[in-house]
Amino acid sequence: MAGWALRLAALATTLFVFAGSVDYAATHVKNAAAPLQPPVDRGPSGTLAPAQPTPTPLPPLVTQRGRTPAPGTPAPRLTIAPGVRLATLQPLTFTHVS
Amino acid sequence: MDAGLLLWILARATGLSSYTALCISILSGLALRTSVLDFLAKNRAIRALHDWTTWLWMPLGLVHVTTLVLDKTARIAPVDVFVPFRTSYGELAIGLGTLSLDLFLVITITSWLRRRMDDRLWRWIHRTSYLAFGALFLHAYLSGTDFDSPLISALSWSVALGIGVLAVSRITLGRLPE
Repeated sequence: MAGWALRLAALATTLFVFAGSVDYAATHVKNAAAPLQPPVDRGPSGTLAPAQPTPTPLPPLVTQRGRTPAPGTPAPRLTIAPGVRLATLQPLTFTHVS
Repeated sequence: MDAGLLLWILARATGLSSYTALCISILSGLALRTSVLDFLAKNRAIRALHDWTTWLWMPLGLVHVTTLVLDKTARIAPVDVFVPFRTSYGELAIGLGTLSLDLFLVITITSWLRRRMDDRLWRWIHRTSYLAFGALFLHAYLSGTDFDSPLISALSWSVALGIGVLAVSRITLGRLPE
């Protein structure tokens, strides 16, 4: 076999492995069993820092059909108590307003 | 696609493909002295392949380490690319990769300077490629995210074992009988 054919075969093999690896890595982004797991950010005490609850602004409520609150009225705010965690649930959707 | 995700996928793919190119390089280097690829091509062609594989593994290895340095999750500092065993986690697993990169770079650069070097010194430096490949395989085994895939694991192990058998044959028997 000629030298150029060997080099072409080596290039093709490497490119084939690269393309296959990209495809595999893209479809297996996370591997919980991977031998190396980089550490996550930890607080000064060495424990995970709890998320700080922040007030969430809500859109103005419509009190009566066709009447909106007077301008300047502050929007009601929702405050999440400490310890409340996010759940992996589907978001609630209101399909109608009575 | 998220930039971090792209870096992560590129790092893994270039790591595996760089490993493949280095396997071809080591195999062709061993074939020059063991005649195992004589059925495929003459030594001149195999020598050309051996020299040319540098241009395959080097850019892929460069992208592998660059993407890992840029990936904030991996936490690899630029100095970790050249100084082994100083990362904040996985010191051995990552350090072996750094060590193999350092060795392969020295082997490649000394090969480019071979005509200006003492031949015995060059040979001894070139023989460290066995050590570098061992470190590279252990790096892949200990830190490779994709190494638990049966296909990737089987291919990596079989190629590494094949190279290992050839290396032992080369050391103990010299050029294999035809």
